[in-house]
Amino acid sequence: MIKMNPILQARDLRYSYGEKRMALNGVSMDIAQGEKIAVLGSNGAGKSTFFLHLNGVLSPDSGEIRFRDTAITRKTVNELRRHVSIVFQNADDQIIASTVREEVSFGPVNLKLPRDEVAARVEEALDYMNLSAFRDRPPHYLSGGEKKRVSIADVIAMRPELILFDEPTASLDPLNAELLEQVLDRLSAGGKTILLSTHDVDFAYRWAERLVVFHDGRIIADGDPLRVFQDRAVIRQASLKRPMLLDIYEGLAAKGLSTGAAYPRSVQALLGGLPNIG
Amino acid sequence: MEEQKHRRGRGHRHSGAVLSIDYYAYASAIRRWNPYFKAAFSMACLVLCLAYDSLAVSAAVILAMAWVTVCLGGLPCRRYLPLLSIPFVFMLLGSAAIAFGVSLHPAGQYRLRLGFFYLYSSRESLLQGLHLMLKALGAVSAMYMLTLSTPASEIIQVLRAVHVPKVIVELMSLIYRYIFILMDTQGRMKKAASARLGYCDYRTALSTFGRTASNLLVVSLKKGDAYYQALASRCYSGELRFLTEQKPVRAAQVVLAAGFLVLLTILWRLTG
Repeated sequence: MIKMNPILQARDLRYSYGEKRMALNGVSMDIAQGEKIAVLGSNGAGKSTFFLHLNGVLSPDSGEIRFRDTAITRKTVNELRRHVSIVFQNADDQIIASTVREEVSFGPVNLKLPRDEVAARVEEALDYMNLSAFRDRPPHYLSGGEKKRVSIADVIAMRPELILFDEPTASLDPLNAELLEQVLDRLSAGGKTILLSTHDVDFAYRWAERLVVFHDGRIIADGDPLRVFQDRAVIRQASLKRPMLLDIYEGLAAKGLSTGAAYPRSVQALLGGLPNIG
Repeated sequence: MEEQKHRRGRGHRHSGAVLSIDYYAYASAIRRWNPYFKAAFSMACLVLCLAYDSLAVSAAVILAMAWVTVCLGGLPCRRYLPLLSIPFVFMLLGSAAIAFGVSLHPAGQYRLRLGFFYLYSSRESLLQGLHLMLKALGAVSAMYMLTLSTPASEIIQVLRAVHVPKVIVELMSLIYRYIFILMDTQGRMKKAASARLGYCDYRTALSTFGRTASNLLVVSLKKGDAYYQALASRCYSGELRFLTEQKPVRAAQVVLAAGFLVLLTILWRLTG
């Protein structure tokens, strides 16, 4: 696959948490501007470790990260963190301040921006995540969904080019998960590059433009979501499930109900392609 | 109404005195006041109450602080009085020790024979006890006025401004944040344990509590790593800094506060 000007490149990353087993065992990946990438893989496959490398929190035992053609070293790691942000899986692990406003300001203050600029970015991020009414609230008086929104506002206020979401839909109720998808769409429309890890294959199939599958610290598949999900060997090896929509579509096609249209990405598209009977 | 709204808005309910004070501060109508002003006023009242050492001044401080907390801050009396009763019990016991004496022989102005010894007192020592009690209550009311209307983050902000060492201030803010997470985690562990009969009798409860506590330590150590990673990912460079809100001080507030301090001085001159 040919990619236009990758903004972030990982080259042969290897990393272990001091155990025998390698958490990352030679991971390479190019990420281009504006991509919507879903990362799949079972627990412990290396997704979170990979994300922490892309943001410079962990540095690889060997291999390198390049951001806009600059190799990241200890000296330039803050440059990486400035442009690549992570939304952690557990919002409580991320929130450190005692009010929502202070919390969202933490990133911009660390960017050493002038006070007015920080204040403006905080207001903008709160507004973006529809949190303005919670401005002065301590985090322990927020619900789980609200905390998640705060943790996203946290990174939006830093205006990164690339946002990494570590299992964003885990532990959200259906309404909040839907709101999250809307936020992801808005961020993409605003030109942000998004990389997210998930176990929800239906969501990944619906949302992603590119799918990356991790298994045992390696990437075993990388490409168009449909292609990857059709590769039964990959699905088996990574213990994934196929998206329900894909199974239904192929099942209908096998019963002669195909409309000839391409593989639909949403239920609406699937139903729209079916002929009316009676 | 406001309180109900907030209560509904939060994810889960906590119990305990620390949490209720935290919640009252958050819900106070005078939270909007400038925290530096509130801290300075509360400290001034506290110092004058102690320095003037007069019944009238102490009483004035107690009443004024109650008025600010209850009437202006909107904390219901039925919440304020129980909070005040905690230190009050200590003061009562302490003052009683000064007001009353015990002797084997008849002594003092007033005495009560209790078997082989006497409980005695005098006008002065009774007065002294009352003095001490009101003085302490005044000082506590002044502190309550601050803590019941100012969220911890703002108190920390004031401490930072008066140059309390950075390490203490940062530890305070981290501890404040994580105390709630720790209590939450502990609460969940406790629920899970009691669902498996971990608290069915006293012996089991003790051993379960011990296990929960040690588990909590392990969880804390693990979580510490996660927190550090989250901090680092947002360009943390060894110093916890946030945007602090600047709340204006109103002229009327300053005039009222200054007027009250002058009133205390006049009271002291008149009665002292």
